Amino acid sequence: MDQQPAQKQVGTGLPGPYSVGRYAGKLQEWMRERARVQLIGEVTGVGRSKVQAYFELRDADGAIPCAIWLNDLERAGLSDGALRDGAEVVISGGLDYYPGGGQASPNFCFRATHVRLAGEGDLIARLEALRKQLRAEGLFELQKQLHRPRLPKAIGVVTAETGAARRDLLAGLQRRGWGGSVIWGFAPVQDRHAAPAIGRAVQDLAARPEVEAIVVTRGGGSLADLWAFCDETLCRTVAMLRVPVVSAVGHERDKTLIDDVAAVACSTPTHAAEAAVPLDCIAARESLERCAVSLRRAGEGAVGTRSRHLGALARGPARALQRERGKLNQKIREIRAASERGLAERAASQKRIGSVVLERARNRAAGADMEKRQAALRRAMVALRAHEPERTLERGYALVEGEGGEPLGSAAEVSAEERISLRFSDGRVRARPERDDAA
Amino acid sequence: MDESERDLSVMTQPDSYEAAVERLEEIIDRLDSGQAGLRETLDLCKEGRELVKYCAAELDEVGEGLKELRLDDLAAKLEVGSEPS
Repeated sequence: MDQQPAQKQVGTGLPGPYSVGRYAGKLQEWMRERARVQLIGEVTGVGRSKVQAYFELRDADGAIPCAIWLNDLERAGLSDGALRDGAEVVISGGLDYYPGGGQASPNFCFRATHVRLAGEGDLIARLEALRKQLRAEGLFELQKQLHRPRLPKAIGVVTAETGAARRDLLAGLQRRGWGGSVIWGFAPVQDRHAAPAIGRAVQDLAARPEVEAIVVTRGGGSLADLWAFCDETLCRTVAMLRVPVVSAVGHERDKTLIDDVAAVACSTPTHAAEAAVPLDCIAARESLERCAVSLRRAGEGAVGTRSRHLGALARGPARALQRERGKLNQKIREIRAASERGLAERAASQKRIGSVVLERARNRAAGADMEKRQAALRRAMVALRAHEPERTLERGYALVEGEGGEPLGSAAEVSAEERISLRFSDGRVRARPERDDAA
Repeated sequence: MDESERDLSVMTQPDSYEAAVERLEEIIDRLDSGQAGLRETLDLCKEGRELVKYCAAELDEVGEGLKELRLDDLAAKLEVGSEPS
């Protein structure tokens, strides 16, 4: 700002003093000369006078008072009520200053000459910048590293008290047969109060030791409607929580920043219920029952099989004993039979001996007849001996025998043999007969 | 694993439902394999029954109907409780 040192420097050594009105006028000129720009932010505190509408435009980092002449506002073509608290808008204009007067108060503002609702493009651009920044800081990974219990006893839920998301989430939990505790952290889900309130709720829920997972949810809407869930402060808060957060904001196509930092991002409150309580309790009870049956069968089977085996083993010795006893009895029977047979034979033998003894006794009793008979017998034996072949052999003859030892009595029989044996009184000589081929 | 260690492992309380279920599945697999001896089978059955009991208790805790609480009510109670008498 141009300073005109019209007055002599006194006191502090600074220029002036100037008349305030003149200074205010110069300030107004200086401000109006600043560059005209576009601002994007959330509208709050909308009010109207006869000639202008005024509001604050703010985001997480700051705010600026704004004003727009009513005729400029009409030219902007916004629908009735579009310029309302919570609306995300883009305004065009520049700095302005109303110096006031004797009775009127001075006023600084951003004088908007045009206003439009922020489009998806504007918000997406802001969202992408934030997303890039938070990802670069590693804030997307922190929640994903947290352990999520499959069967939490208590979960916290941040949502609007009257929204359909609340009903859908409850229905999803009940469908899984889950009957734990739900701690509701109700919060607005769409306006400038939403992000701070949601942030406080998740922090308070995370501070409760019984809470094992937190669901943040709301129904669908435009990106502007869901903008609270892209709030940088809220997303940083969620990223740093020690409790896993399941986000289910908007519909599947809506991708808010809280979805990026959360442990799990779901498309609907129903899916969020499944992510917060991963275990289907109904199926788990059935599975547990099957496990119990398997264990019972395994235990009974192991004992039953082995006890049957043991029983068989226990009966083994008795069976073996019985088998051996049977063999023994058989032996006894055989021995008895053999013994009886032996006794009978011995009796027969004794009987025979007795007969011989008796015979001899009888012979002795016979006297001279016996001696006569013996003399006759001796004579017969001498006569018989005279005819024995051995006697003939002793006289120098030989007996021709075949290979089998049979006597051969003719030349024809000898010729038929391959080998013959000549038996002399003092031994044998083996020979091979020569055939007279000519004969 | 010696006998004392096995006994200790049987008696150890699982850390969580999922840890219990994971161990239970291991036990069932081992029993189904038919490779466990009698003593091991009986030990596994005993451990398995304890785990089933634990899991059933965990499920029972969330099986009595959904309870709804409000964070602001809990916070109010906490503040009342913390006020000096």
